[in-house]
Amino acid sequence: MYEGVHAHPDGEATVARHALTAADYGYDGVVVRNHGGRQADYDPEAVTNAHDVDVVAGIELRSDDRSQLSELVKRYREERTLVCVHGGDSEVNRFACEEPRVDVLAHPMRADGDVNHVLARAAKRNGVRLEFDFGPVLRGDGGRRVRALRDLRKLRDIVDHYETPYVVSGNPASHLDLRAPRELVAVGEQAGFDPEWMREGLREWERLAARNRERVSESFIEPGVRVEEDETDG
Amino acid sequence: MKHLPKHLRQRWRYLAVALESWPETDLTRRAFQRELWTAARNLVGDTGSAEADLTVYSFAFEDGTGHAVVRVRRDEVSRGRAVLACVDSVDGHPVGVRVTGVSGTVRACEEKYIRGPEIPTEERYVALAGSERRAVVRSERVDARVGDGHLGATDLDCE
Repeated sequence: MYEGVHAHPDGEATVARHALTAADYGYDGVVVRNHGGRQADYDPEAVTNAHDVDVVAGIELRSDDRSQLSELVKRYREERTLVCVHGGDSEVNRFACEEPRVDVLAHPMRADGDVNHVLARAAKRNGVRLEFDFGPVLRGDGGRRVRALRDLRKLRDIVDHYETPYVVSGNPASHLDLRAPRELVAVGEQAGFDPEWMREGLREWERLAARNRERVSESFIEPGVRVEEDETDG
Repeated sequence: MKHLPKHLRQRWRYLAVALESWPETDLTRRAFQRELWTAARNLVGDTGSAEADLTVYSFAFEDGTGHAVVRVRRDEVSRGRAVLACVDSVDGHPVGVRVTGVSGTVRACEEKYIRGPEIPTEERYVALAGSERRAVVRSERVDARVGDGHLGATDLDCE
């Protein structure tokens, strides 16, 4: 199971500290998804080797402008393993769901963002994962938390009906915000989410990272077509 | 009062909980217990709180790290876990909370899941995020002050 984290300078812990804590907590990997202008300076391989947890280089692109977002997606698609879009605005949500080069639409229900059947279908067609952000459930209270839970429920109903792919995250910005997978699943269970459904959402990050890594490998031509080593040759 | 017959006694489970915070934070059992009750009430309400009946047993916290044993009703372990996950700060200090194990007795819980020897901490200057900073170093963990906030790092980040 993987978790998508925000590292220093987008959070209060470095990538290495996130990785160390995640390994302690029983995660197999972390996806570093700092917001656009706050990129961390780190070497994914060095951290992976030091703390025995897979570090995936990602990014969370944030902009209100569709054409600028489009530029950013184009620029970072080659460079990063995972490309997320900072959701929470109807225009941005729509852009992300209709763009096959986007991997994850982060917290689509935040602020005045919304998801409907059209977006859910578009996201499925383009392989865009919708994120279930449990951050406000873990760290919020009162009305803010109630609204977050209400939105998560609504999103789940839509996602389940259209079988849209999804990821689950606690959206931590420091090692102190991070919660172990079992704890996250228990919170989801209290909020009415099936435990296995929650675990699937945490595993989805891992599958996404593996798929994208395969796509940039040399033997990959297009989905379903790859160059095989010919053993009988010579 | 006479003891209850065995089959009528309340059944408990004990959760071993690992705690972490910034080095200068001082946490007390009382504050943690209060925060736990608040979290339970916010997450599962009064009825849920009564059902889980979360109580802090042993508690120790020093130099930004510590542990606690939390009692929960036997069939409510999952609920207890969820409530613990929602404790995000104590007295306004952010805390990291993790359930490291579950046992049937306090003694087994402490012996099995709570590590004995404390890891020594030292305070020294480290080169972190582009400048020399005073930091608290505990094994491979390095906690430094950066401006008004904090930065959690590991020895991998220190040049």
